[in-house]
Amino acid sequence: MSRKTILVIDDDIDLVEIIRVTLENEGHEVIDAQNGKRGMVLAREKSPDLILLDVMMSQVDEGFQVAYELKGDQATQDIPILMLTAVADQTGFDFDPAKDKDFLPVSEFLEKPISPRKLVDMVRKHLPAGI
Amino acid sequence: MPKDPARIAPESSQFVSAASLRVRLDWFNKLRWVAAAGALIAIFLAYVVASYSLPLTPLLTMVLVLVGLNTGYVLRNYWTPPQDISEEIKVVKLQMFGDLLVLTALISLTGGVENPLHFLYVIHVIIASLLFKGGEIFQIAWLAIILFTAEALGEYLGWLPHFHSPSVSEAAHELPYLLVTLASFWLVLLFSAYIGSRIMRHNRTIKDELVARQMELVVADKAKMDFFRFVTHEVKSPISTAQSAVETALELGGSRMNDSVEDMLSRAVGRLEQATGMVRDLADLTRGGVVKQEHLRTIDLSAVLARIVANHEDIASRRGQRIRLEIPEDGLELTTIRSMIEKVISNLISNAVRYNKDEGMVSVRLKDLGKRVRLEVEDEGIGIAADDTERIFDEFYRSQEAIEMTNLGTGLGLPIVKKFVTDLEGFLSLQSTLGQGTKFTVTLPKHGIGRERKAAK
Repeated sequence: MSRKTILVIDDDIDLVEIIRVTLENEGHEVIDAQNGKRGMVLAREKSPDLILLDVMMSQVDEGFQVAYELKGDQATQDIPILMLTAVADQTGFDFDPAKDKDFLPVSEFLEKPISPRKLVDMVRKHLPAGI
Repeated sequence: MPKDPARIAPESSQFVSAASLRVRLDWFNKLRWVAAAGALIAIFLAYVVASYSLPLTPLLTMVLVLVGLNTGYVLRNYWTPPQDISEEIKVVKLQMFGDLLVLTALISLTGGVENPLHFLYVIHVIIASLLFKGGEIFQIAWLAIILFTAEALGEYLGWLPHFHSPSVSEAAHELPYLLVTLASFWLVLLFSAYIGSRIMRHNRTIKDELVARQMELVVADKAKMDFFRFVTHEVKSPISTAQSAVETALELGGSRMNDSVEDMLSRAVGRLEQATGMVRDLADLTRGGVVKQEHLRTIDLSAVLARIVANHEDIASRRGQRIRLEIPEDGLELTTIRSMIEKVISNLISNAVRYNKDEGMVSVRLKDLGKRVRLEVEDEGIGIAADDTERIFDEFYRSQEAIEMTNLGTGLGLPIVKKFVTDLEGFLSLQSTLGQGTKFTVTLPKHGIGRERKAAK
């Protein structure tokens, strides 16, 4: 597979490094942002091929807001999003990401902890083919 | 005027709440119907059966007065329910005063001090102690004493007509008899008032304490859940990132890795998986919010059950166990929260397999009960001691038998089952014999939350 650019938006820098090592090992370029705002800027500037997005950053649902913003912007709306959710992110019965993904504009939910194998599989599955 | 009895100030010292005042007033009115009926029966027995000569017209008039008064009270309660408790206490006192007047008239018409039925005054003191606190009870007692004493002395002195009670000898004009009767009457009434007020004060104190204790428990339970939620929140990220890091190290090292390094890292992954499992369980257990109708989806419970059983077959067969599944052939639809019901089922089945004996049988049965469904998960394992049947639902508690059998298990599985079943408005019960096996039974409403309750209303 040709070299792709993958944007990781997550405030856990250790996890970002883990993802970087794994995906660079696959031959991809990894860029990262520690918050949603910076993530939006990078998404527009670098037009990554895929975005890994954490749900809970400084705000409980920051990831969701970013996802909606990405899908609402012509420049970024076609980029596939893999949403990273942590155990216990659900604070009530009202939200159940695995069941409610139809209502959110993302390609897949990945529950943490993410194993490298699963990460590679999911990235392969959702990266746009070709080029 | 608004008819909402809840508008009564709840802080009254007399009554715990407006609702309880309402209940007591209703009870008091019903009691008065019984009293009127009792008076009629007594008059009938005395006049017709025992053929006593009685002043029938005034007696029946007094009963009619009682019936008329009570009808008035009932209508008033209906049209203008009590709005203000202190006001209402006065009304109730007036009612009791009326009752005592009617009783005194009835007694006066049937022999006065000669009539043994004058002990009925005691009943009024007892009723007062159910309705009021100390002071008012004594007021009623003194009122009864004054009325009855006045009646007896009035007859003795000839100010009131005397209707001789045919069942006893002429006694209303014998001073020693009169004085002894009155003295014992005073004594009994005051003593009743004293005992009544003491018992009721004691009762109310206990009730207050119970309510306070209950509140403390609720607060303590919430604090515990908040603490769990905080801990869960704080430890989940480091643990899950650590697990990813070790797994990535294992992946990167691959075949170049020294065997003992690989072994150590694999052990670390195993323990980290255990920790994330516990965090996940804690998250489930401390999950806030309430289940609402709009979060429910209709699922085929038979299919869900079959899939979860299939997931456990591998681990069961490793210990020679079999899982027998009995489900309705046509499927069974249940309106529920899928993730919760899945957790309940998989926790029960994995427990059954874990604590089963080798070569044992796990029986999973699903039955349609019409408005409800019943799920049973039965094993032939270590069983649960009678002393433990409550405690196994406490967070982190594991029975001695469970600990001796395996170090797997966090002690959170059953508390989660209990919480989820309760949240879904179902019931959970267990039957177990130590050393022979355990059966858990879950019943759940088929059509979701709140519906049955609404239908029942």
